[in-house]
Amino acid sequence: MRSASLDVERVAIRYGATPVLHDVSLTVAPGQFVALLGASGCGKTSLLRAISGFVRVASGRITVSGEDITNLPPERRDMAMVFQSYALWPHMTVAGNIGYGLKLRRVNRAGRAKRIAEVLRLLGLDGLADRPVTELSGGQRQRVALGRALAINPRILLLDEPLSNLDARIRQTVRHEIKALQKELGITAVHVTHDREEAMVMADRIAVMNAGRIVQFGTPAGVYNRPNSAFVATFLGADNVVALDAHSDEQTVRIAAATDHDAATLHRANGAGAGVHLVETLNGSAQAHFRAASARLIGAGDAAPDALVLRGRIAQCSYPGGVFRYAIAVGSQQFMVDDARERVPGEAVGIAVPAQALHIFPASGHA
Amino acid sequence: MSEPAAASRAPARDAGGAGTGLLLLAPALLMVTALFLYPLGYSLTGAFRGVDGAWTLANFTKSFELYSRDIGFTVAIIGLSTLLIAFFSIAIGGYLTLGENRTAVVILRWLYRWPLFIPFIVAGQLMRAFLARNGMLNNTLMAMGVLDPADAPSLLDWRGIVIAFVWKQTPFVALLVAGAMATLDRSTIEAARNLGAGRLRILIEIVVPQVRQTLVVGLVLSFVTMMSVLSVPLMINAQSPTMITVDMAFRINAYGDYGVANALGFLSCALTGAVAWIYLRHGIRERGRQ
Repeated sequence: MRSASLDVERVAIRYGATPVLHDVSLTVAPGQFVALLGASGCGKTSLLRAISGFVRVASGRITVSGEDITNLPPERRDMAMVFQSYALWPHMTVAGNIGYGLKLRRVNRAGRAKRIAEVLRLLGLDGLADRPVTELSGGQRQRVALGRALAINPRILLLDEPLSNLDARIRQTVRHEIKALQKELGITAVHVTHDREEAMVMADRIAVMNAGRIVQFGTPAGVYNRPNSAFVATFLGADNVVALDAHSDEQTVRIAAATDHDAATLHRANGAGAGVHLVETLNGSAQAHFRAASARLIGAGDAAPDALVLRGRIAQCSYPGGVFRYAIAVGSQQFMVDDARERVPGEAVGIAVPAQALHIFPASGHA
Repeated sequence: MSEPAAASRAPARDAGGAGTGLLLLAPALLMVTALFLYPLGYSLTGAFRGVDGAWTLANFTKSFELYSRDIGFTVAIIGLSTLLIAFFSIAIGGYLTLGENRTAVVILRWLYRWPLFIPFIVAGQLMRAFLARNGMLNNTLMAMGVLDPADAPSLLDWRGIVIAFVWKQTPFVALLVAGAMATLDRSTIEAARNLGAGRLRILIEIVVPQVRQTLVVGLVLSFVTMMSVLSVPLMINAQSPTMITVDMAFRINAYGDYGVANALGFLSCALTGAVAWIYLRHGIRERGRQ
């Protein structure tokens, strides 16, 4: 498999007068798996379609291993795309679908048969070559779509939400299969998804997109633990948000007491040292983000060292498995917190958020 | 209400429903029988009766003696027209689906349906003015210097009939085919482009196979329509050989010979029946596959 690098340089896209992508730049190294992660309408699919050639770019440049492909039609870009709807051709068999790209490349019948057999074996579809694709299950169809793309040894593999039509259990398996295949083949891949976990599990790098821009680009752990904006923090699951009055210096973050939380002085994250994650100095009004799983419940009168403590009552309790999930009413707000101990609704509790679980942004930076 | 009571009542209600349904259908059934089935049966059996009312195959013998060339001519003209209609309607539908020049697509979409609203007899008349030796086509070609006036041909023969049929019927089939193409999952087209297929290849290998059933339906309906047109061959090519609709009209109007006319009608029915059978068989096979 040939690995190629992909460079998107200041690409803008407009649909009529509406701009959908604003000067987006992205670099994908050979063999790298990059996920474009964002909510509906953020421009992630438009970016993928610009890379594949189905959408014209208004300005900017797209190159593959240095070759400018910005104005090439889709059929001459030597990429292969896996579509959300699979887009299999219903009038062809499994072998017909997988071998079509090879036929277009004038591979002879014997060569095609050999490659089709290889791809079928790779994807665990042995024995299905002559089956019409309309007789396959969702998971099998998805594999055929992937096989059709891989059969031609494309320079770049493009995945447009390929797992969103599968049921949750199969999705988990296929995720790992695609990732393993991509690594094994060393193919450069760009994957569009709105599913955070899917992006985290599959990608080497994640580009988080919002309103036609890439707002953060980094490793899964990087964007997860060091979100650079309130938007990224919320999108990556730190969606409990509490308004604070906070001041920071080089070492510490001082939080003033308010009706719903205690005063606290917390360590600030520095290099490898654990502590509150800040992107800029805090000097007054701020918003703190934290995840349900990284906070814990304490007794109403208890204190917690190096943690922000919110005071409230349990409004609701559920058991999704493993831990209990509590909705805690704090003032007029509700926070979600996971805790191993079973408690009853109505009980007064404290939510202790350890310093290293807090991402605090100045309030004006709210996305 | 207990369950057995409900169960015992249900069939009674169904039977009553069926009775009412039949009653509602009766006037329509009666009309179809009296105005369609009876005359059809009468004329079909009429093909097998002589002037004395006795059963005979004489009408068929006479039909073949007099009109075998016309029967072949009819089949050839309609077969050729059907092929051309298929070609042009795929081309039109294909351009509407895959065309990238938006202006051209909009103009074509607006333009191609016009012949649908023009009756066959007017189409025949138009073709006479257009295709005659001193018609518009030749005049234009001569004015452009492409054609020498001495060589100007008249296309008012079998070619005229084919042109009129294709011109009149293509929009109908194209309308069906373009509609079916528009409902295709666009990503099946994009997937082929993405793998490197050009647009003509996509049309032939990806789009047409997916709308084949609609195309066949359109062509069968077109075939049946063309089999029954009298005005076009009468206006464009009334000489020999001509189409069997002209012969049927002639047998009845000139000789009052219903026997031979019925025999020719029977043959038309057999031809359209054969085509309809292909269509039905095709439909059943497709449904079976689904």
